[in-house]
Amino acid sequence: MKRLMFTIFAAAALLTGCNLQEKPYGLYSDSNFYKSEADAESGLLYAYNALTFLEYSRGIFYLGDIPTETMRPKSDEAGDVYQLENWIAGRETEQLIYYFKYCYISINRANTVLAHTENSQIMSPEARNRIVGEAYFLRAWNYFNLVRAFGIVPVQRQMVDDLSKTTPASARNIDELYDLIFADLEKADRLLSVNKTYGRADKVAAEALMSKAYLHLASSKEHNVKHYRDSRRDPQVMYDSAAYWSGKVIRDYNDSYYFDDDLHHIYDVNAPQGPEHIFIMPIERSGTQEGNYSKLPLMFLPSNNSVPFYIRYGNGSLLRANGNGWGVFICEDSFVNSFETTDMRRTELIHRTIYDAAGTEIVPNQVQGYFSVKYVDPDFIGEQTSARPYLIRFSDIALVYAEAAGPEEGLQWVNAIRQRAGVQPLPANLDIETFRRFVIRERAFELAFEGNRLWDLRRTASVTETDVRAAGLSEEETAFFPIPQREIDLNPNL
Amino acid sequence: MKNFVKLFALSALLAAALPAAAQHIVRGRVSDGNEPLMGANVVVEGTSRGVSTGLDGSWELAVSEGETVTVSFLGYESQSVVVTAGTTQLDFTLREVQLDDVIVIGYGSVKKSDLTGAVTSVKMDAVKDLSAMSVESLLQGRAAGLQIMNTSQDPGAGAIVRIRGNSSLNGSNTPLVVVDGFPIGDAGNLSQVNPADITSIEILKDASAAAIYGSRGANGVILISTRTASGNTTRVSVNHRTTIGQFTDKLNIWRDPLLMAEIANEELTNAGLPALYTGQYNNGTYYPSLIEIRQGLWSNTDWTKLTLRTAVVNNTTATVSHSNDKTAVNLSINYFNDDGVYKKDGYRKGNISLNGSHKLGRRFTLQTSNLFSIHQRNVNNSLEYGRNPLWPVYDQDGNYWRASEQDFGHPLIISENVKNVTAGRDLISSLAAEWEIIDGLKARTQLSYNYATSIQDAYNASNTSQEAHDRNGIARINNYMSQDVLTETYITYAHKFADRHDFSIMAGHSFDYNMNRSLSTTSYGFVNDNLGNENMGAGDPERNVINNSYASSKLLSFYGRVNYQYDDRYLVTVTMRADGSSKFGSNSKWGYFPSGAVSWKMHNENWMKNQRVFDELKIRASWGVSGNQGIQPYQTLNRYGQEKYWYADKWQTAIGPGYEAGREGANDRYIIWGGIANPDLKWETTSQWNVGVDLAFLKRRLRITAEYYDKYTTDLLREKLLPLSSSYDKMWVNDGSIRNRGFEITVEGEIISRTDMSLTATLIGSHNRNRVTSLGNAVSSGLSTDRLTGMQYEYCGQSLSMFNANPSIYAVGYPMYAFYGYRVKGIIQQGEDPGFMSSDGKDLPGELKYVDLNGDYTIDDRDRCIIGDPNPDFTASLNLAFRWKNLDVSLFLNGVFGNDVIYNGYTYDPRVKTKRWTPDNPTNDYPRLNSTRSYLFSDYFVHDGSFVRLQNISVGYTVPFRNIFIRSLRIFANVENAYTFTKFDGYDPEVGVDGIYWGGYPRLRKYTVGLDLNF
Repeated sequence: MKRLMFTIFAAAALLTGCNLQEKPYGLYSDSNFYKSEADAESGLLYAYNALTFLEYSRGIFYLGDIPTETMRPKSDEAGDVYQLENWIAGRETEQLIYYFKYCYISINRANTVLAHTENSQIMSPEARNRIVGEAYFLRAWNYFNLVRAFGIVPVQRQMVDDLSKTTPASARNIDELYDLIFADLEKADRLLSVNKTYGRADKVAAEALMSKAYLHLASSKEHNVKHYRDSRRDPQVMYDSAAYWSGKVIRDYNDSYYFDDDLHHIYDVNAPQGPEHIFIMPIERSGTQEGNYSKLPLMFLPSNNSVPFYIRYGNGSLLRANGNGWGVFICEDSFVNSFETTDMRRTELIHRTIYDAAGTEIVPNQVQGYFSVKYVDPDFIGEQTSARPYLIRFSDIALVYAEAAGPEEGLQWVNAIRQRAGVQPLPANLDIETFRRFVIRERAFELAFEGNRLWDLRRTASVTETDVRAAGLSEEETAFFPIPQREIDLNPNL
Repeated sequence: MKNFVKLFALSALLAAALPAAAQHIVRGRVSDGNEPLMGANVVVEGTSRGVSTGLDGSWELAVSEGETVTVSFLGYESQSVVVTAGTTQLDFTLREVQLDDVIVIGYGSVKKSDLTGAVTSVKMDAVKDLSAMSVESLLQGRAAGLQIMNTSQDPGAGAIVRIRGNSSLNGSNTPLVVVDGFPIGDAGNLSQVNPADITSIEILKDASAAAIYGSRGANGVILISTRTASGNTTRVSVNHRTTIGQFTDKLNIWRDPLLMAEIANEELTNAGLPALYTGQYNNGTYYPSLIEIRQGLWSNTDWTKLTLRTAVVNNTTATVSHSNDKTAVNLSINYFNDDGVYKKDGYRKGNISLNGSHKLGRRFTLQTSNLFSIHQRNVNNSLEYGRNPLWPVYDQDGNYWRASEQDFGHPLIISENVKNVTAGRDLISSLAAEWEIIDGLKARTQLSYNYATSIQDAYNASNTSQEAHDRNGIARINNYMSQDVLTETYITYAHKFADRHDFSIMAGHSFDYNMNRSLSTTSYGFVNDNLGNENMGAGDPERNVINNSYASSKLLSFYGRVNYQYDDRYLVTVTMRADGSSKFGSNSKWGYFPSGAVSWKMHNENWMKNQRVFDELKIRASWGVSGNQGIQPYQTLNRYGQEKYWYADKWQTAIGPGYEAGREGANDRYIIWGGIANPDLKWETTSQWNVGVDLAFLKRRLRITAEYYDKYTTDLLREKLLPLSSSYDKMWVNDGSIRNRGFEITVEGEIISRTDMSLTATLIGSHNRNRVTSLGNAVSSGLSTDRLTGMQYEYCGQSLSMFNANPSIYAVGYPMYAFYGYRVKGIIQQGEDPGFMSSDGKDLPGELKYVDLNGDYTIDDRDRCIIGDPNPDFTASLNLAFRWKNLDVSLFLNGVFGNDVIYNGYTYDPRVKTKRWTPDNPTNDYPRLNSTRSYLFSDYFVHDGSFVRLQNISVGYTVPFRNIFIRSLRIFANVENAYTFTKFDGYDPEVGVDGIYWGGYPRLRKYTVGLDLNF
């Protein structure tokens, strides 16, 4: 008996030996991921996916359109959107905080891909080139968004894996950020090939973005925009570079990318692979959470008491739309009225009347103002739709080319767009300044409600003269949004 | 089971053994004054002659004159009588030993008089007639310093348990519950243990008592001991209770449809909108005009009849126990069924408890304890009992009537088409061996196992919600299992030197392995709803969602305790525990938790011997450190997240840095990104002072225990904010501190103490003062600053949609969950200057008159201040127990004072709406109606939550018949929640720690009848 007891107690005493290190289960981490090409591919998609979160994707409109003369939020929209509309946005403005944050989230995700993939031997050189190239594109994409919105921002080139890397230093000047953007895009251009794929960037996307960045720099410097006036770069050289890269985009890849003759087709939610779309966000109504699917139509469409309604095009065809829109994004009457009356971008893409299934106008209705129908999904599932932001369009780059190259080379590209919209071509004998003003104006109409307008106004130092709500401010004050307070409070290296 | 039958047979033999006859025969009975005691030992001192009493307590022995007969029975004080000449009849009435004389503490037990720490025993006697699924709800008001909140009355709902306040912001604030030496986890819903199987409960409150549980002891510890067989006999008992519940308040719904329609129209008209009840279609629904309603052509549906019922609880326990000098076995079976107030909403469970011990030789004992339970919860609550009474139940075709395509509120459709059933099994089992190596030196080893598993089946048919409609049905099966293995070995040595130095030493170690895993599957897109979730493969395979998880943690501990007592006057206790936990960072795996206590029994001093005031005068003081490791495993590690990305015509899995650690913003739409490692993360540390005094007067008929404590928690587990450019939002750090101070008093008096009549009263009071003393670095914690007072704070808890704001904050210098909002001073009257201007009509007559604190003539977030505190100032209870012969009556009052409650939805309540301000009724209490008004969170919604509840009235009668078969029979009836005295306007002010009142349904007054039958 004693022996039995002794055995029991001795065995119990032995049970003390154990290892307290945690072995995580079911969690991916730095230590067990990036072991194969498929891992790297998945990591890259994670970096892309940061663009789809509504914190970031709605920012396209909150930042790019709301603070301009083209669009306003509905009067009782919650949150800080009214601050953006009224040019009183500050360091605590929610939409700015999230936009800023998600740029860095996508950057960190891209940096992580680069850290694990750039020198990796586990995959074929072709696969590596593509993955690394796209990661560089994405990093440049996010820095370009940051520099346009906030000006001089912290530069994070490493993946953040411990506390010491969480406080990156600010760029010294605007050139440092553009150096990074151009270097990343040149690498992307070198590594990538032409490969038109819905939801991902290729060589053409890299070149398109390059041309946009050069143009932004060129015109900002030319218009003496804050920070840009300190740039060492020469605006004419920048215009030439913009023309070079955009020229390549519009001329060299006509198998895959060209003007879409059918205006409706560009905005057809079921045609994201159309020839216009150089880079487009992949959104699918079958997704399980917002971001995977979008509620973008609800932001634009008016409410019809949850009863689906129809939009009627000029040819009488009907487009089914969600009936429970929130009508947040309302087109300003003055902007709508500034279109020429025959402009199909006005008559076909901006509406104020809604119809029932029989094509009869619904009267009275709850429509609060003009609304854009660039984001409508007739096959919505409840509130889930496939409507997606247009990130880079062929027409955008054609207009970049026109603006950069000047009237001689550019006129035909502007007029092609005008012709598609059903308006008269521009005259041929414009001087370059007038021509560029016309191109900017054309961009407002063509790229309306696609998150473009504010950046054009900023780089031409014309925010305050264009948007009445910014009147009274200086161009200095409207050139950038303030860096969010949390970044200032917590990052000692700014 | 086979063994049990053998034991049963064995006991029958023992009981039948007869004494040898000699000398002259003396007969007698042994009773406790009420009941005969079977199995008491009657022995003649100094001889081998002895006998056990029979079923009716009778005995007979041959005794010589001058010999001493001694009667002993476990749990009773022994009695001896010298037999004189001619004695033939000797009846004994044994007095029960005070149950709390020996009390269980962590890893041992002590005499109550030798306690040095703050430990309170709860007498199960006081609550044994009540019916409950788990024991916690019964403990309300029963121990000083123990706060129980029974916030939900739904079947299967647990209680919120706190000991001496809240001391953690993000970790657990719930005490550790230990069943028969096995730490089970957080208290609150110990449904695995049938309350009827519990014999004693000890609440360890101060550090000296709780620090032996180290990193799990910071919130206090509740020790539960379950029934074991005793008394050298076989006992069988059956207990049954049936409870019916009745609302203590009227339901707050529209009963007059005309009034409802008038109010609705007024609400809209005041907001500048067209009236609704005008005899027109709106959003596909016809709303009759007031005239049409007045004509009575419209239905007045009583939805409460269709949704609610009388709640009934049945609770039956059968127990068989047997013990002899070697073996003790107790088997108990319980069935518990709770049919909730909502139709088809219910909970049932069965428990089996089997424990036993067996002595192997003189020095070895084997023990086992096994608790097995099966439970099932059918959820069908939160049906719309307040649905529009004008709406009919059926349409002309006999189908359920729906107001529109978007109307998913019909309670019968939901009842019939939503399935939500969770079924589970639990096993708590332990094996222990005890070895008395030499006299005074004991070793004990215990192997414990806790296994829990549950499966949830759920189906939402496409007609039950918008989401289910859009997705064509939602089917779910969720599996969960957890297990916990604990080995514990310790030795105890006790020795008394020179008759004055009383030492006992305990040292041991334990190893705990905890694991849980889950698998949840969801599928959408069914062709029809016929099979519910029975065939999930029939859903749309593209849209299946599968999640699984697994987490394990290890805790390795070494602990020890030294007790020293000098001359029964001076007592010292020192404990120490070292815990190593896998949950914490690689740089801080180990924590050390010391404690010490001293006590002085002044009444045993020589100079106190001659005084007549004190029967006991004992002072105690303790200090110690305990920890809280209440965070999830893997929080210290780097962790990737995963998402879906649409590419190449399908959803691809995307993986990378940044992990969804939470959500924020309106409707939780924004993600909080975590996943960055912190190798320095460690325990929250609570150090606690406690001083106490135990007093007894009037031959111990008046007893008073009072405690004062000061509890300081540092290194709070908090999430530190990171710069936005880091791409992470938060990382876990140890930062911030909280202080709880308070006193507790317990007064027990035996007002009448006679053989046939007794009256005892117990008065318990507790006061706790909670303060957040630091929230760490204000900047990196992302604290906000109140511009008027400079107060630093952060929001906590949940946002209330009524205010579109978070009402509760953690603020430095204020109690946890303090309310932060606007002040309101009545209603703006016509022609009155409200003191502010507003662009959205807040300054109009009939609106709430907000106070412009900063004097800028506008109302904005700078006009906020602290407007309430949900923590009670004082809790008290009074228990009166009266016994007259076989009749017993008890009365229990429980009170909570000085806490504030947020009456969420106050102005939406029909009772409030009808009293609204109008130009003709210029009340200063209720605003005018306005359907589009947005409310700021103000003290208008903060109400006094104080209450005194007549919690329980109980009457019992022990039927005085003697029967060879039935040993005793007790019948009783009681009422719970008999009456509540409160100023609170809602159903009931007893709400959760955050003080938010959610409505729900009124508290149930529960009528119970029951019987206890012993064989």
